[in-house]
Amino acid sequence: MERMQKQPVFFVWALILGLTLWALIFCPAQIQARSSAKHKCQTLQIKGSDTMVNLGQAWAEEFMRLHPTVHLAVTGGGSGTGIAAILAGTCDIAQSSRDLSQEEQESAKAANKIIMETPVAWDGIAVVVHTANPVSELTVKQLADIFTGTIQNWNEIGGNDLPILVLSRERNSGTHVFFLEHVLRGGNAKGTEEFAQTALMMPSSQSIVQEVETSEAAIGYVGVGYVTNRIKTIRVARDHNGPYLLPTLDAIQAGEYPIARPLLFLTLGESQGDIKSFIDFVLSPAGQEIVKALDFVPLEK
Amino acid sequence: MKSSRAYLNRIFEFVIEKAIFLAGILSIVFVFLIFLFLIKEGFSLFRTYSIFSFLFGTKWYPISSPPQFGIVPLLLGSVAVTLGAILIAVPLGIGSAIYIAEIAPRWLREILKATVEFLAAIPSIVLGFIGLVTLAPLVKKLFHLPTGLTALSGSIMLAFMAMPTIVSMMEDAFTAVPKSYREGALALGATRWEMIRRVLLPASASGMLAAIMLGIGRVIGETMAVLMITGNAARIPTGLTQPVRTMTATIAAEMGEAVQGGNHYFALFAIGIVLFIITFLINVTASFLVRSQRK
Amino acid sequence: MSQDDSVRMKTAIRIENFNLYYDQFRALSDVNLEICERRVTAVIGPSGCGKSTLLRAINRMNDLIEKVRVEGQIFVDEAPVYGDHVDLVALRRKVGMVFQRPNPFPLSIFENVAFGLRLHFHSSPAERMERVQKSLEEVGLWEELRDRLGGFALNLSGEQQQRLCIARAIAVRPDIILMDEPCSALDPVATQRIEELIRFLKKDYTIVIVTHNMSQAARVSDETAYFYLGKLIEMGATQKIFTAPSKKETEDYITGKFG
Repeated sequence: MERMQKQPVFFVWALILGLTLWALIFCPAQIQARSSAKHKCQTLQIKGSDTMVNLGQAWAEEFMRLHPTVHLAVTGGGSGTGIAAILAGTCDIAQSSRDLSQEEQESAKAANKIIMETPVAWDGIAVVVHTANPVSELTVKQLADIFTGTIQNWNEIGGNDLPILVLSRERNSGTHVFFLEHVLRGGNAKGTEEFAQTALMMPSSQSIVQEVETSEAAIGYVGVGYVTNRIKTIRVARDHNGPYLLPTLDAIQAGEYPIARPLLFLTLGESQGDIKSFIDFVLSPAGQEIVKALDFVPLEK
Repeated sequence: MKSSRAYLNRIFEFVIEKAIFLAGILSIVFVFLIFLFLIKEGFSLFRTYSIFSFLFGTKWYPISSPPQFGIVPLLLGSVAVTLGAILIAVPLGIGSAIYIAEIAPRWLREILKATVEFLAAIPSIVLGFIGLVTLAPLVKKLFHLPTGLTALSGSIMLAFMAMPTIVSMMEDAFTAVPKSYREGALALGATRWEMIRRVLLPASASGMLAAIMLGIGRVIGETMAVLMITGNAARIPTGLTQPVRTMTATIAAEMGEAVQGGNHYFALFAIGIVLFIITFLINVTASFLVRSQRK
Repeated sequence: MSQDDSVRMKTAIRIENFNLYYDQFRALSDVNLEICERRVTAVIGPSGCGKSTLLRAINRMNDLIEKVRVEGQIFVDEAPVYGDHVDLVALRRKVGMVFQRPNPFPLSIFENVAFGLRLHFHSSPAERMERVQKSLEEVGLWEELRDRLGGFALNLSGEQQQRLCIARAIAVRPDIILMDEPCSALDPVATQRIEELIRFLKKDYTIVIVTHNMSQAARVSDETAYFYLGKLIEMGATQKIFTAPSKKETEDYITGKFG
């Protein structure tokens, strides 16, 4: 009785604070029981990266068409949300656009859980500016200086005399973490570089695109799938020797475009049953065809 | 037979009474438990991170190594947005409350009251979205800013959300002013405006303050709309036309990602404590004012 | 004898063929009467007879109620009260009002009395102070309140509050004071003292008092008007009305046969 009455309290907290992890806090055992109950009615929970949510949905729809007895539920929330959920046992597959952070690895170790990573596609990150912006080529170093706030005016890199408006994704975004580690910190995971305090933290890739469309001062980064013809994509080079490349299929698959990342499925231990057959489907030519259709980059040609 | 029915009745009475008592006490227990939980999780941060750096730090870099959890920019962000919203909502709110309570003919009054209440029923995310696509570009254009995602846009948006609270509470405060005060003033030859300014406003001052306080409470706790429209740059604002990051938006944006039991997670709860204390103080002040109004 | 008196007296208020309707309901029918300067005129009658309505018609407080319609005219100091170009502010400065329940504003004692002064006169603080003192002296409050003029008016006793309301009304030097059952919320001792005040004030002001208390009417007034069902039944010197009324209805009411 006591237990029953307490539960709504935590639910209220969850609402108030925007907590999605509410149940983990107090009664993990109950949740475990519930998620195993879900296995019986064959609903697989897939959760995580917002970048991957449409991709996951497309895969899930096709897979469910082929296997009517299996039900897949795909939700977003960010890579961190997915990783937290897989560690807590509230989802079966976490979609992530980044590796586990040190803290997450430690917390997995503490819970005695082994997380398996399966790359399922590539994503190139496009650096985008307003169509009227004369700047069209930047090195990774220049990008780092722009996003950390060292370069503050477009005229320092050959553009107009206009203060730069830096747009970043929120910290719960895998894209944010990837860009931070691979551009701002030049691939050094122990780096201390950070986004400028003046950088706007946008809640979605879509809002970055929208802001770049309307502001000549803006620069932002989004997955290639979000690029429209109303914004301009910058050619990026590893260093000033070039080559300056757009995030095209070829450039990413050849490993030449400097800001590309693998998109991952994370599972607990060796996957079996429906989870395994879903992953197999994703890696099959049919699954990789869907990757291409959604403007992501398949694993191989 | 008769006595056994009476006995049953007594038991029934007893059970109902206890059930109602339990329901009443439960809400207090809930609030207490929430606070306890907030304290427990929030204070865990200060085992490894100094409370001084938390309260007075000017940098919020929760996922750097080492992380920095200075809430000054977030606190000031919330203050800037709230202050702006109140500056907009209060004059408008007073004006429309006076119009509804004192000037509008009865049929219009009913329509206006319903409309104001309807405004309160619009989900904040809807207002946020409308603000994002209409207000932000407008602010950007009007003030020649690089972006419309600023504290000002947030303030205007939140002013709309605070208006229903402010207007309906102020209208109640005005309506609660006895008719005899109005008659007394008018009989002395006061015009309607003089009556409002010299009698109605002083007589309902504490009710109006309470309305403003509750409006502030509504605004400072608002999350989704500010997350969408204020730009979320965690820097100390020097003006309303800059992007700011509020405490609520920070919690909402980062909670999903924070590892449970990690310092970032605890820091978000610590922000929760700060917010809780602020809204608690505001509500206590407001209810104190409402009580003094009734007296 | 009273007839002669009223002829010699100047008319302060003249009511001519006056009708007042609340929507469809006719609250006053064909009222004709004259009220003399510097006398106390009592308006009596059973509840709902229209006596308060009549009082509120004189300073047009009925305007506040929706769907009120009037016919006929009222003259205050020979100037019409109803019409498009009537200055309500000036009218109400001239015609003060004291209400059934004491209604001081939730302000200080001083601000209550100074309220009308601030509305109607551009006086200096010193002049205002002088006028406030004078008004409080007239109603007999000055001695007890002189040291706490900044005090909150609502903390005063009921009698003090009603005196304060009278002081507030006379501070702007009106010609006429309308009193709507001014003692009904007060105890007998306070009532007696307010009645004394009314008799004292009549040397400077024309007073019209509505009361349901016949002995009060008999004690304070010079003339009495008896209303029944919105009609003026009889008006005359108070002494005559209470001792030898000319109408049967008046006699029935006075002697307590109904009402």
